[in-house]
Amino acid sequence: MGVLRAEPARLGAATRAVGTAWRTYDWQLSVYALMLMTFGLVMAYSNSVHDGSSPLAMGTTFTRGVMWSGIAVVVFAAATAFDYKWLKTFAWPLYGLNLGLLVLSLAIGTGVGNSSRWITIPIIGMQFQFSELAKILMIIVLARFLSAREARLDSLSTILGAGLLMAPVVVLVMLQPDLGTALVLFAIVAGMLFMSGASIRWLAVLAAAAVAFVPVAWNFILHDYQKARLLSFLDPASDPQGSGYHLLQSQIAVGAGGLLGKGLTNGTQNQLDFLPVQTTDFVFAILAEELGFVGALVVFALFAALLWRVLASAWRSRDPFGTLFGAGLASLILFQLLVNVGMVIGIMPITGIPLPFITHGGASLITLALGLGILQSVNLRQTRAEW
Amino acid sequence: MNDSLLPNETVRSRRPMRFLAFGVAIAVVVGALTTRLVFLQIQQAPRFEALAQANMTASVSVPSTRGIVYDRSGHALVQNIPTWSVKIRPADLPYPQRDAVVARLADLLGMKSTDINARIEANPGSRFDLVRIKSDVDESTARLIAEEGLKLPGVEVTAESRRDYIYGPLFSQVIGYTGAIGAPQLADLEAKGYLPDDPIGQAGVESSYETALRGVYGQQQVERDATGRVIRVLQTTSVPQPGQSLVLSIDVKEQQYAQQALEWGLKTAGVQRGVFAVMNPQTGEILALVSLPTYDANDFARGITDAQMRAYLSNKDTPFLDHAIAEQYPPGSTYKLVTGTGALQDKKLTPTTEVLSKPFVQIGPDKYWEWNRAGWGPLTITEGFGRSSDTFFYQVSAMLGIERLAYWAKEFGFGALTGIDLPGEVAGLVPSNQWKQDTFGQAIFPGETLQAGIGQGFDVSTPLQVLNAYAALANGGKLYQPQVVREIKAADGTVVRAFTPHLIRKLPVSAANLVTMRLAARRVATIRHTYNVVDMPIIVMGKTGTAEYGVKDAQGRLPYHNWYVGFVSKSGDVRKPDSQLAFVSFVYGADTVGNAATEIAKYYLQLHYGIKKDYRIPSLLVRGNFYGD
Repeated sequence: MGVLRAEPARLGAATRAVGTAWRTYDWQLSVYALMLMTFGLVMAYSNSVHDGSSPLAMGTTFTRGVMWSGIAVVVFAAATAFDYKWLKTFAWPLYGLNLGLLVLSLAIGTGVGNSSRWITIPIIGMQFQFSELAKILMIIVLARFLSAREARLDSLSTILGAGLLMAPVVVLVMLQPDLGTALVLFAIVAGMLFMSGASIRWLAVLAAAAVAFVPVAWNFILHDYQKARLLSFLDPASDPQGSGYHLLQSQIAVGAGGLLGKGLTNGTQNQLDFLPVQTTDFVFAILAEELGFVGALVVFALFAALLWRVLASAWRSRDPFGTLFGAGLASLILFQLLVNVGMVIGIMPITGIPLPFITHGGASLITLALGLGILQSVNLRQTRAEW
Repeated sequence: MNDSLLPNETVRSRRPMRFLAFGVAIAVVVGALTTRLVFLQIQQAPRFEALAQANMTASVSVPSTRGIVYDRSGHALVQNIPTWSVKIRPADLPYPQRDAVVARLADLLGMKSTDINARIEANPGSRFDLVRIKSDVDESTARLIAEEGLKLPGVEVTAESRRDYIYGPLFSQVIGYTGAIGAPQLADLEAKGYLPDDPIGQAGVESSYETALRGVYGQQQVERDATGRVIRVLQTTSVPQPGQSLVLSIDVKEQQYAQQALEWGLKTAGVQRGVFAVMNPQTGEILALVSLPTYDANDFARGITDAQMRAYLSNKDTPFLDHAIAEQYPPGSTYKLVTGTGALQDKKLTPTTEVLSKPFVQIGPDKYWEWNRAGWGPLTITEGFGRSSDTFFYQVSAMLGIERLAYWAKEFGFGALTGIDLPGEVAGLVPSNQWKQDTFGQAIFPGETLQAGIGQGFDVSTPLQVLNAYAALANGGKLYQPQVVREIKAADGTVVRAFTPHLIRKLPVSAANLVTMRLAARRVATIRHTYNVVDMPIIVMGKTGTAEYGVKDAQGRLPYHNWYVGFVSKSGDVRKPDSQLAFVSFVYGADTVGNAATEIAKYYLQLHYGIKKDYRIPSLLVRGNFYGD
């Protein structure tokens, strides 16, 4: 009993021929992810042109993006090779590590204004946002927790247990403050509970409770700037130079893109700086401006295909941990897609949530690579016949 | 141990319905986002395209050349000279760097950081508008700042032209100056195409003829970035049209004579404030207009410093005010023109009616004294006016009554703006029963009527009103609107607006009564009330005034202003209304033994007519008092 409860690598699986193992590897999953990452690099290129310097020079958004993409591929490969079953074994230490990294972020992190989100990693000198990593670590912890409670999924205690696991992480993230990541964490818990088979009735009750909690959060938890951003979503024209500025300008960018877009590096909203933070939270606005409706649809299609492959992996997994891990990853990607693009096109409030693969930022990309790598590891290490 | 891997349990871990639900959720999310994109990118694309265009293109103004001001003989009084100015666009000045940038700029410009900050804060426009920090920066400094551009974000050096007032203070009260637009004016002016850092006429004809002088700014379509920086010019929509030029009715030489005479008189009398104005009574054209102390319009053109501004503002003799039109003083005995003409025309007097002058006129317990405290016995209007007998005019005022007196004053243009084409004119005051009832809630007392008849008490008027009233006497009863601008010319020299006299009204006074009053005005000279004016080789008619004001001194005497207003006969025949030259001379708080204003006028007339002999009597300008002790 105890720590080494898991007994990785049943002999049969471990001795299978390599060729057989690769048949269960999901190539489509990797290809869709790579294509989305490429879109991100293309947009980074366009933004680097706008900065005036050669896009291929060191330190531009584009070259940094290429570097992070390289690291992401390595992380993805390593995670695929790594036997995910060890994650079940080390779920609780990982949970501790997660809390530790978030505390560290609060202690020494830097960020815009008074926030403390990024930690500069020594030696390579690149900034990293550990709250991104926290998303994957939480998926692992929750998958471990829920898969061990197979028999009691209907009970309220499962839901409350998951909530209690999540609570310290959410608190640490909100202290940074990072409302966006906190919301993503909520989405992950909700998605995983739903997919695990938790009681729909209790989930509904808790959802109702969450709605009731909104006024409390509004008055006591949210910062003024967060409230202003949420409000300006309702009426962007009320303060076009202030908090509504991003919303208005991003919708102008998207709308001006039209069917076919203005062509890469030709977006005036991008190149003339009318839309700030065009490399990060609002990158989709620039994508839609320069690549148009068609480009945006291609991106949506890639996301839909990727999500389908993630769910398929989850479905195929004989291990409930693998199923739940896939569900968590799908929840993460779907929620971030909805909220980020929704924000850019004016149907969601501004919350500062990155668009998976496309928003420029190392932590987000590494986190996704790690998640997809683990999922491929799950794919490789299951004995179920292919679905 | 690993029960979870047993087939019969793993089946439970997958919920097909929930996978299906998740699949539906994906479809709904992608569907919703796509729907919105269809709306934005397909349906509304033209609208957003237009908004993006509007974002990046802007219409910017191309300044026009401001019109020139010439004197009557065509000498340029103003020129536009190229200059450099330093401006800041607050939006481009990052807050953390602001202190450092301001400090460096202060160093380069020789200004105080606090002054620069004050200017940025006082910016009437938005953060994207340029704020003028310093005008008329010398070229080497401008170049230095331009070279340090990268270290001075938000700082811009622009080449522009500024006004150079060639004659300095000589014409400042007439021409005025241009200055920055104040925040309250900005909203109105922006609608008319003004930019927040545009110069605008702030005084003189620069202000009253702003529209003509400014011309019409051109327009260019430019591409700009989010901070408003112009990337390139797309097209020129309209070419700027240069401003029109003004030709003043004033000649430099006449203005210099007037200034020379007034400066001499004030200096000799030891006072600061005075006015000398000259008009052609036949047309209302102003031929000279000097108000002292004055200011140098070039101080504004170069960018006035706080120290200069403080010095001007702390001067109790208000150098920014044109004392000829913007301040009102008791007209004193000059007002006897109104009383006398009114009494003749209302048939209270005939030219031969005699009224007894005496030491004083008594009303109840109050005594209203003759100025010499003796009187001269019975006097006709000519003699009464000539000797400026107070007791004569007290009695005539009482015959007229306050209402008729007010009527005649208003006919002569008192109590109303003359309508001169300069800003800042005030109307003066003509007391009447109605006015006093409205202001103090009681009727005019009889004693106040007496005082009103000699230009004291409530009467106040501007020197220009006094001049204009006598010009009407000189020209046979026509009250003209005074004008300083004779013509407006286009940039190519063609006359856009030629001179035409503007008649305010023809006075309802018979020619015979006006002749009587001109004879009376001539009598002032011949009786030697104005000492040796009569000895000059020109026929001068006019009236002096000694107007008390303010607070009594220890001996119960009031300080007083000196007036002398008059005109010169062209033909030498006093009866003819042919004068080409009327003048008013005013010395504020003169307190001299004799009439300082008369001495100034004599000096001006000598200069104007080239009279070699000097008739001035400087001993009259000794400070003492006219009461004779």
